[in-house]
Amino acid sequence: MKSTNIALRGLGFIAIALVVIFPFWVTSTANPESYLNVMITAGTSAVLTLSLNICMGYGGLLSLAHTGMQMMGGYAIGLAMLNYDINPWIGILIAAAASTIFSILMITISLRATYLYFGMITLAANLIAMESFRTALGNDGMITEIYRPAWGGVDLSTRQFYFLTMGILAIAYLVQRNTILSGFGRATMALRESTDTASALGVSPNVQRVKIFAIAGGLAGVAGAILAMQGSFMSPEIGDMGGGLIFFVGLFLGGVGTLVGPVAGVALIAAIDFEIRFSGAYRTLILGALLLLCMMVLPRGIVGTFRASRLGSPHELKEEPDTSGEEIITVSSGVAGETAIEAIDVVKHFGGIKAVDGVSISIRRGRVHGIIGPNGSGKSTLVSCITRYHQLTSGEVKFFGAQMPKTPHKVARAGVTRVFQIPHLFERVSVRDNVLTGMYLQEKYTWIEAVLRLPRYSKGTRAEEKQAAALLHIVGLGKKSEIAAANLSHGQKRLLEIVRAVSSRPKVLILDEPATGLTQGELESLHNLILFLKNEGLAVVLIEHNVDFLMGLADIVTVLESGKVIAEERPEAVRNDPRVIEAYLGRTDISELMGE
Amino acid sequence: MNLQALFDGLFSGAIYGLVALTLTITYQPTRIMNFAQGETFVLGAAVGFEIIGVRKWPWPVGLAIMLVIAVIMGLIMERMVILPVQLSGSRFAWIIATLAAALIFQSIFSLRYVGDTLSFPPFIDKTFSVGSARISAQQIIAIIVSLLIIAIYDQFLRRTIHGRAMRATAHNPDTAIILGVPTKRLVVGAFVGSAVLGALAGFLWCPENGINPATGLSFTISGFTAAVIGGVGSPRGALFGGLIVGLLNSIAGAIFGGIASGIAVFVALGLILVLKPAGLFGKPIEGH
Repeated sequence: MKSTNIALRGLGFIAIALVVIFPFWVTSTANPESYLNVMITAGTSAVLTLSLNICMGYGGLLSLAHTGMQMMGGYAIGLAMLNYDINPWIGILIAAAASTIFSILMITISLRATYLYFGMITLAANLIAMESFRTALGNDGMITEIYRPAWGGVDLSTRQFYFLTMGILAIAYLVQRNTILSGFGRATMALRESTDTASALGVSPNVQRVKIFAIAGGLAGVAGAILAMQGSFMSPEIGDMGGGLIFFVGLFLGGVGTLVGPVAGVALIAAIDFEIRFSGAYRTLILGALLLLCMMVLPRGIVGTFRASRLGSPHELKEEPDTSGEEIITVSSGVAGETAIEAIDVVKHFGGIKAVDGVSISIRRGRVHGIIGPNGSGKSTLVSCITRYHQLTSGEVKFFGAQMPKTPHKVARAGVTRVFQIPHLFERVSVRDNVLTGMYLQEKYTWIEAVLRLPRYSKGTRAEEKQAAALLHIVGLGKKSEIAAANLSHGQKRLLEIVRAVSSRPKVLILDEPATGLTQGELESLHNLILFLKNEGLAVVLIEHNVDFLMGLADIVTVLESGKVIAEERPEAVRNDPRVIEAYLGRTDISELMGE
Repeated sequence: MNLQALFDGLFSGAIYGLVALTLTITYQPTRIMNFAQGETFVLGAAVGFEIIGVRKWPWPVGLAIMLVIAVIMGLIMERMVILPVQLSGSRFAWIIATLAAALIFQSIFSLRYVGDTLSFPPFIDKTFSVGSARISAQQIIAIIVSLLIIAIYDQFLRRTIHGRAMRATAHNPDTAIILGVPTKRLVVGAFVGSAVLGALAGFLWCPENGINPATGLSFTISGFTAAVIGGVGSPRGALFGGLIVGLLNSIAGAIFGGIASGIAVFVALGLILVLKPAGLFGKPIEGH
């Protein structure tokens, strides 16, 4: 373990120790209750900021309804308590449930909305929720006399309530950490980077978004419950966006998309807020200005800046990790030569442009199927049609004799993985995590198992990490497994992307111009990798402009021009086919003159 | 059909359309949806309140002072928003920056006008009766001015070289720079222009319905809803979106009572996003 990590862990323990001794330390002061209440408020804010971090920082979902979710939780526990005399302990769960339902409703309405629109819909929903409580409940929506839970027949004292809040904060932090570090979290981050790539790895974008937003909603609801019990009231103003600024400030100050950032940021903000507590109406002004300043001076926040620095970022390993004895499982059993994909008369028109105009192609296991053709001949479009990124104009695609599923992520689940022409790595996460994201489809454990770290999760994760190390070893990236993918060279990124695709154990692997921009050494690595996969029984589709590279690998080559197949034969035959030469070089007589 | 609701809806719809237009103007070259836009609206009302309402100076003077202060506010806002966004590089930077700006202005207004409702007498104090319904001269003026401004901006985008530069920048800022469009100046211009029009909208609105100085954000949201329904980027869309929001608000409110108006608009927004995500007049826009 690195010395920085030990130092950080030490810092964490000191922070926890301080939180534990704090109530005993302030008993000697004039008004210990007020100090405890400041800390309880900060703890509640931290829970809400963790929730905001999950959906904004990791999920890439712009939520402007977090104060509303909190309000929803507060009203749920308050109304349950006052109208149905529900026990506060159960009330906390009811608050979480109510807020989860509210967030699920919001996100189902707005699944089609892009990022900005999504944020605005949440904001509108927030305002409507506030207005509804104000109108429906009378007394301007104010409800009072919400009480705290009891322990052993006595209501919790402020000190006990303090420990309850900190306990809930610890749980919220663990929920966040364990969610993000699991396959569930990797799928979420994949979605944040690119919907297309996430789909190619088998993540269902809509389902994943609903899940992550629901988790954020649940946490926010718990925060609302604590808030209601602490202040013993709930009002629509709690849902006001202006009050929610403090969560954004905390999140940004600490670092968006970092695990500890939200807590660190809120702690700092709470300290500042405590200092300016007598400024009254100037509070919002000061916080607003602070937020703008923080964005300019510390754009990544405290934790984010530290992580990006030399001290805080992971280094390359000294030597390749030993992965001998680890068997690499790439593909499930099957017969070589069996037809995997059968595309029949595929047609795709964009307006008047006939990008793919009646192509039939059959892709078999244990073969490398090359596709070449001049620019604009429809190679990538054909692949997009097969993998359902495009709707077909007409024609049909079969997968092992059955109908190919209709959406990209279902195609991926069936066993067709695609590597895009432009690199689509998850740049901000480590090389190893990129590969682990590819294993999403093999993960057997549920979100709950990941959060509680149950045996199935631990066993699965250990096995995955070994697989990932072995796969990275093949392409010589073992040393770099800890560093962020953004720091790799272009060629290494391409190799990593292919490794990630392979780690999903597909039956068919589609590579779109993988050799572009690779050095000679990297080309050899790629060549060996593809050969290895083919011998394992994978069907490999290889779209490539580097003809030499392709000819050395392909068992059969399909030549496309203007959306039509002009030749499909063995590589040697393609080289001498006059139609192919004409397509590439124009008239045959001229190309002959040029000595081709 | 309730004629009064129709008149009120037309009036507020025209104003919302104007706010939607101001959001569009800054959105196009920057891809920033300015949450602080509603504060310019409050500014217009606040200047009118101080000059015409409290000091009793004549309307044209109030208008002139309002325009000057709005230009200054536009310049300040541009720096407040663009600088952090450029330095930060986070994909959420714009929202945090504009939200922070909105709250800073909001707290300034709240501090200055504690407990006041901003209001001042109309330019022409006259009201016409149509059956049982009434429409004021102020409302008619507001509708006409909004329509005119939107029509002029529409023609500006289509006919003039500056308008084309604006559209080019909206489409692809990098390419626009290569073609020699001074995008930085264009951005400053967009902020100033939208601040002026936003303040004008508040100035026209205020004599009819006084406003609370802390409610800028809710005007931003109404304007945004209008822009989305009409299609972000299109002046005609802004107008139609504004009218839809205004009329839905007042008619649903008149028939089913207060809470229904907000819900009716939200349902309309949801429907548009599901059925025609680009809005009635818009081309699809991409997220950041």
